Amino acid sequence: MQHIRDGIMVVNTETIAGKVITQNLGVVGGSTVRAKHVGKDIFAGLKNLVGGELTAYTELLEESRSEAVARMVADAAARGANAVVNVRFATSAVTAGASELFAYGTAVIVE
Amino acid sequence: MVDASVICWGPFLLIAFLFSIFGIIWTIAYPFLFLYGAVFSGRNLDKSMNKIVFREKTSIEHFGKDPLSTLKGTHIVGGVRKSGLVYSSVVYSPSHWQLMIAWINGLFGGRIDIIHRVISVGRAEATQRLREQAQADGWEEVLNVRIDTAEMTSASNPKGTKAVEVFAYGTGVKYS
Repeated sequence: MQHIRDGIMVVNTETIAGKVITQNLGVVGGSTVRAKHVGKDIFAGLKNLVGGELTAYTELLEESRSEAVARMVADAAARGANAVVNVRFATSAVTAGASELFAYGTAVIVE
Repeated sequence: MVDASVICWGPFLLIAFLFSIFGIIWTIAYPFLFLYGAVFSGRNLDKSMNKIVFREKTSIEHFGKDPLSTLKGTHIVGGVRKSGLVYSSVVYSPSHWQLMIAWINGLFGGRIDIIHRVISVGRAEATQRLREQAQADGWEEVLNVRIDTAEMTSASNPKGTKAVEVFAYGTGVKYS
């Protein structure tokens, strides 16, 4: 995972250590809803019977999370920010088999 | 009105056939997998817990201490050269056998250890992956760590929680 995308720093602390926030550009966010295809769902269902880690779903969430972060960063870039601070993640199971990943934070200009 | 003779039935039949095949496999496999879960799910949990403890030791050796903390970084004196987001996640589910035992336990109330073990292994796995991710990205410490859980349901059975996703994230920092 890249920690800097398109020159934008992304952190989940309120400030960036060693930098001063000079301008606040508001809340930015990115979200995505994804699902695995039916075959993987069925195998995950079988694995679920036995218990343990469901790799297909871990993979799915990993993919969608990076997509959500990428969208958030694109939003921040559109506002001319050079960092996103205080990033939070939220998950919601909108419908069975699919989940919404939402990443949000504050776009700022730091020096 | 559409004349029934002009509809191409091929794709529908194919889908119906595939569904019935899945149904048959499911019916045959269910009891075997249930028994497998009953016998091995506890043992597999113990095994993965032991592995996680071992991996934890290796990464603590690499960092010299536990790299994760929930501090916000205000205590840091001196410079931080770089910082960035680190995250990791894992989806864990109890086996149907464990769910059944938990249901029976729930009738009497009190502690339900069998489910507690599943979720604690999931959480340990997620935090350990966060450490490994931090190591791979070259961070020296991870600040402001948060651990979230989310419920997941599978498409085949929308009712009830089937799996739990544990998600850990924090800010990696580099001092020099």
